[in-house]
Amino acid sequence: MDTSNPAVFVNGHLIPNFIGKKVRAVVQVNQCDGGVATAKSSDDCQLTIKGLPEVPLLNYIEVIGIAESSNSISAEVWTDFGNTFDTNSYNQLCQLANGEFKSLFL
Amino acid sequence: MFSASQFDSATAFSGGGFMSSQPSQLNDSSPAPSKSRDSQGLIPVTVKQISEASQSGDEKSNFVIDGVDLNNVTLVGMVYEKVERNTDVNFILDDGTGRIKCRRWVNETFDTKEMEQVMNGMYVRVYGHLKSFQGVRQLVAFSVRPVTNFDEIPFHFIDCIHNHLRSKLKVEGITSGNPSSISSLNTAVKSEPNGSQAPSSNPGYAQYSVDGLKDCDKLVIDYLQQHSDMSDERGIHVNELSRELKLPLDKIMLSLKTLGDDGLVYSTIDDYHYKQA
Repeated sequence: MDTSNPAVFVNGHLIPNFIGKKVRAVVQVNQCDGGVATAKSSDDCQLTIKGLPEVPLLNYIEVIGIAESSNSISAEVWTDFGNTFDTNSYNQLCQLANGEFKSLFL
Repeated sequence: MFSASQFDSATAFSGGGFMSSQPSQLNDSSPAPSKSRDSQGLIPVTVKQISEASQSGDEKSNFVIDGVDLNNVTLVGMVYEKVERNTDVNFILDDGTGRIKCRRWVNETFDTKEMEQVMNGMYVRVYGHLKSFQGVRQLVAFSVRPVTNFDEIPFHFIDCIHNHLRSKLKVEGITSGNPSSISSLNTAVKSEPNGSQAPSSNPGYAQYSVDGLKDCDKLVIDYLQQHSDMSDERGIHVNELSRELKLPLDKIMLSLKTLGDDGLVYSTIDDYHYKQA
């Protein structure tokens, strides 16, 4: 068992709390060239995702990686969640996981 | 022959399989928080919660989370370091809150086939039994299935939160009745106000099952509950329900069908007499 390196559920507004740490976010990719993608977080913030390969545009992609700045993530692992995903629920989960129920996650 | 009042899904299903058997609390009037009926189910948890679970007694598989005994758990996470062997498949499950070692015994072709589909880096839903082996907590999985609808991932974690709240409410409700936990339950999930006023003979029931019932279903179940008589094994006739609740018969039948499918009511001597399960 190892809980020393969690990946925190984040939306755009929560990233600044985790700079330099591992996070996970579901984003919708708008533009992708040369490993740098522009994407929208579950709370409609513009993010830059580095290290992402060519992914289907407008699909929901989960990236797990290090938060480099308040609006960029360097991706280590990514999963294509397809083109239908309930971002509203995901966004609320981000808030719960960093708020009242933090003890279940971090 | 047992009377209908003794029938309880928890007792009925706790005997066999991988459910832990535990005596029902139904006829026990004194509440015992540690022996909650919830301990028999499959509990959604995060790796973080498992890491913080206290181990009760010296048995190797006796864990407590939120004051509730836990044996069978379900997790959703990513597979890493999968290693196949002749008799078992080992892997690490990373759910973002932590990592836990999992082992799946492969006895049947079915087990082998299921595990063949599981690749490193894939999201899976695991059902398993929590064990402590040489001081390390690990999961003996009896089902590992790839996640195909990714809404299952947020769902699982919301489910963990929901379950955490419910256990907390149950434990605190018995000991102190902490109002703050009740208010937090109300904000996060639709809680049933009747839950706390349910008949004492069946404490867990109302708050567990009435959630999400339609109005008509609820009227029917409430009526059956209020008019249940231990000595009467026939139950209530559908015409009586229709008459007393002032609802058309077809609506009543539809509700009884739904409630029956959910295991909340059952027909007795014929298809027109029903009792609450």
